[in-house]
Amino acid sequence: MIDPIEAAIDVATSGLEAHSTRMRVISENLANAESTASTPGANPYTRKTVSFEDEMDQASGADLVKVKAIGVDRSPYRVEYDPGNPAADANGFVKLPNVNLITEMADMREANRSYSANIQVVKQARELFTMTVDLMRNS
Amino acid sequence: MIPALTLLGTVAADAAGSLSSIAPAITGAGTPAVSSGAPADFGSVLAQVTGDAVDKLKAGEATSISGLQGKASVQEVAKSVLDAQQSLQTAVAVRDKVVSAYQEVSRMAI
Repeated sequence: MIDPIEAAIDVATSGLEAHSTRMRVISENLANAESTASTPGANPYTRKTVSFEDEMDQASGADLVKVKAIGVDRSPYRVEYDPGNPAADANGFVKLPNVNLITEMADMREANRSYSANIQVVKQARELFTMTVDLMRNS
Repeated sequence: MIPALTLLGTVAADAAGSLSSIAPAITGAGTPAVSSGAPADFGSVLAQVTGDAVDKLKAGEATSISGLQGKASVQEVAKSVLDAQQSLQTAVAVRDKVVSAYQEVSRMAI
């Protein structure tokens, strides 16, 4: 049996990794918010989504979190009339990515908060551990 | 750092070993209060704790190096370094306790 406090740290660390992946995907969406297709009329960058799932850790029996899949958002692309654009189709319309900056910002803030929460778990668990070990020291 | 710790652990384990061989002779009754599942000798338990700490330290250093090389994420590096620190703290606390117990016995007026 593994120490529950250490298991808590393991779980929080898996959360840190999962949410940093989420952060990466959000940054990809933000960076590619204006990426058009390379050939006329083709589809531009498609917004990516992240989903999580729990994963049983065999050693500790704790439920870790991991990234289940990085999927794509199937909502329609934005269409703009811009005949001068190299990616414009025959009628002069350009398909732009289905990325909404406001949504991405909200998502990023949420990832940030989740990451901080996991950091706090690590801090607290470490404090508990240290307090317990300090019991052994001569006061 | 690691060889020093190993040496320290060996010394402490030896001390504990001699302590556990002294203690029953002094107290007379001398049934050690160790639960049945654990190893009988406290010295071997201490050696195990020290070995564990050394292993964690090595893992921490290896992960730090691969982190510097860009092969490990900062979360992994932080976790393994913190693991190593925790194990070291525990090993040091246990060693301090054992050494003070040994000194306590050796100071005893006969």
